[in-house]
Amino acid sequence: MAQLESIILYCLKQLNKERTVYSIYHLLNGKKSSQTIQDAHLFNLKKFFGIMDVLTRETFNQRIETLLNQKLIYKVKDQTFFPTPSGDLFLKNNPLLRELNGWEFHQLSTLFWERLSLLIQVASNFEYHETNYVPIQKNKDVHIWLKSTLKDMKVSKNKMASQIYAELLDCFSENKGLDPSVLVYRLTGYQQIGLTGTQLAQKLSMSYYDYYLQFVHIIHFMMETLRVNPDRFPVLSFLYNGLIKSNELTQSSKKTWQLLTKGYSLEHIAQIRQLKLSTIEDHLVEIALNIDRFSIHEYVDPNLQDEILRSSKSAGSRQLKLIKAMVTRASYFQIRLVLAKFGDKAWS
Amino acid sequence: MELELLLKKYFGFSFFKIGQKEVISSLLNGEHTLAMLPTGTGKSLCYQLPGYILEGQILIISPLLSLMQDQVEQMKRFGEKRVVALNSFLSVEEKDYALKFLTKYKFIFISPEMLRIPYIIKRLQSLSISLFVVDEAHCISQWGYDFRPDYSKLGEIRNALGNPLTLALTATATAKVRQDIVQSLRLNKVKKIESSIDRPNIGLYVEKVPDYREKEERVLELAAKLKKPGIIYFSSKKAAEHMAEMLINKQICRASAYHGGMEQDARILIQQQFIHDQLDIICATSAFGMGVNKENIRFVIHYHMPMQIESYLQEIGRAGRDGKPSIAILLYSPGDEQLPIQLSESELPSNQQIDWLFNKTDLYIGRNFGEGQLAETLKELGGFSEVQWRIVEELVNRPPQDVKSPQHLKEMIQDFVEHRLQAKKANIFRMKQWIDAKTCRRKFMMEYFDDRSNTVVTPCCDQCGLVIEPYYQSVSRRHFSTSESSWKDYLIKLLNNSGLSK
Repeated sequence: MAQLESIILYCLKQLNKERTVYSIYHLLNGKKSSQTIQDAHLFNLKKFFGIMDVLTRETFNQRIETLLNQKLIYKVKDQTFFPTPSGDLFLKNNPLLRELNGWEFHQLSTLFWERLSLLIQVASNFEYHETNYVPIQKNKDVHIWLKSTLKDMKVSKNKMASQIYAELLDCFSENKGLDPSVLVYRLTGYQQIGLTGTQLAQKLSMSYYDYYLQFVHIIHFMMETLRVNPDRFPVLSFLYNGLIKSNELTQSSKKTWQLLTKGYSLEHIAQIRQLKLSTIEDHLVEIALNIDRFSIHEYVDPNLQDEILRSSKSAGSRQLKLIKAMVTRASYFQIRLVLAKFGDKAWS
Repeated sequence: MELELLLKKYFGFSFFKIGQKEVISSLLNGEHTLAMLPTGTGKSLCYQLPGYILEGQILIISPLLSLMQDQVEQMKRFGEKRVVALNSFLSVEEKDYALKFLTKYKFIFISPEMLRIPYIIKRLQSLSISLFVVDEAHCISQWGYDFRPDYSKLGEIRNALGNPLTLALTATATAKVRQDIVQSLRLNKVKKIESSIDRPNIGLYVEKVPDYREKEERVLELAAKLKKPGIIYFSSKKAAEHMAEMLINKQICRASAYHGGMEQDARILIQQQFIHDQLDIICATSAFGMGVNKENIRFVIHYHMPMQIESYLQEIGRAGRDGKPSIAILLYSPGDEQLPIQLSESELPSNQQIDWLFNKTDLYIGRNFGEGQLAETLKELGGFSEVQWRIVEELVNRPPQDVKSPQHLKEMIQDFVEHRLQAKKANIFRMKQWIDAKTCRRKFMMEYFDDRSNTVVTPCCDQCGLVIEPYYQSVSRRHFSTSESSWKDYLIKLLNNSGLSK
């Protein structure tokens, strides 16, 4: 068990010495800054975005320290590291959690878990004909959701619990590599109160952070499975229904986007907002990453877009300097904008 | 209808607990009532049952949001849907809805800060309130250990609502505090129902240990030997966590910490695990216990001394609600009183903080003296804690009418702080006296509350010859399950009623 270490090693590899180690910390924390969001796209690390908002800087530093002491990474320059050959080997022996999908799910996984745990508690008590119990979820939205969802479900109340049981088993069977223990023992029902995360980590003899990642992993796995096969899970698929991710724009970028849609030019926006033009350009890159309908034609001629993408591919790098050397007539802003808009497609 | 029949019909109980019937009868006679009932005797029944007889609404003022929430949920679970809690937990829409349809509710819980809002008073005035209930009424008194400035205005509010029939409830109040309650609520004639604060089935035991190391050892020993379940109270979150960890690591019992610094989800789970006997010992701060209805708690240990006898009584009162023998143990090492002294100082704004605040020219945002709101940013800039800020905000935003200038207000606040600090220190001193007592501890405590009931209790306390051994468990039982069930078994048990037989 060394999930966090594996993720850090993998990220260091992807970052290819082009970012400091703290960009990983911000990534895992899901920091809503232009830089972090762009890095997640640029270096193909979206699946780790926001998966560990519980991680403290202190713990993160400790882990880096340990990796250094174990000679799994070496220092390139200040705050910048890269895996050693033994680091590569470690990564091979401790493969990544495959189902993580932070970019899509990190905002929604808490709500998904709250829904799941309340549904199970209600179904379980129903199965045992118990009406007097304390709900373990206080989130009122989740209560309202469950109330209306129970009406929409086409399963009779006395078959609800067994149906959920069957669907859970079916869902878990999709991936034999997963250990459902990390989730199941946290569930509460009739005369049986679930464990807290800390308690379960202890029971499974895991470090808290490793446990936490395993838990997020199985939640993401369930969300994906239910999203893809709603028909196969007539009851559980309700858990995913209506969970809509809001876009990841930072507050400041949101304002810029509003002005942009009203037709203001970049210079004008900079003036109105009393910000530097380069800051507004940062916002545009963020918008390109997040909002599909945002067209960049106005800022980069389509031919130039092509040229930039081809150069990026042939250079085998997303390093701006290299691309700039090949496409001299493009500005750095234009290169970033193109990579943000099409970076994923060009690279996958 | 006879009260017992109503009790059975609405609550499913056959008998009243001590004091309940007297309080209810007094209210039904139309008498303002001050009731001091020990913790765990079902104070809320005293206003719920009259609610089924009296026309009009029951208004309940309660200072603790979480407790209010618990009570409302509990009433709903028992089938009473005409209940609402007006507090800061509500969203704007929910608040609007509740206020619009206020007449639909029979039981209206409200927090004191909501009563500051003129519109809410107006809405309440349009109702016919048949009973005005002040829960935790000791918060009214400056002499009480939990004084809340908001509470001192309840008399005014009661007046604005046409002086309805009033019930003041408290578990722990000295004679002086009770007098304050009556005066502050402007109850000219009041029936006092003071059942004894004594809980005869709880043995009292104080043990002096030389230092904290030995104290730790002693707690571990007691935790292993005493009949469980039990609670160990600490004044610090860290100490509570540390002890829970030791109990688990040494495999002494199934234990967990509980304190306000934990996530709400985890707090609910741990509370429920304890209630369902999945945990033997909770290592808690004073955040634990409100609204926890568990009958079979066999011991309460205090690792740190509480800040006043009132809290101590309340905390040990969580033991033995089933009436069976239980024990309260307080462990004292020399110098222990320093911690509560520090705590009481940190609960009040310091002189430096007050000076700093009044040197700010933008104290009020663009208003005249006494009309504005304190800027929230000042809280952080001045390094005010939540508790400190509550006091400052209350006094600055709503200064007393006779205070006319900032300078005057500043002096008033400084006086207030000084006064409170002295009251708190006096409380700690009384607690320490109780610890040092060479005579019966039960008598001491009852005298403190002017409780004149004359009961002879055996076993009583260490001074009267109580020994600890009878409270040990006869066979040492360890709950660590040896047959671990798989996650599938766990899931089957949750979701299949006949799963075990299959």
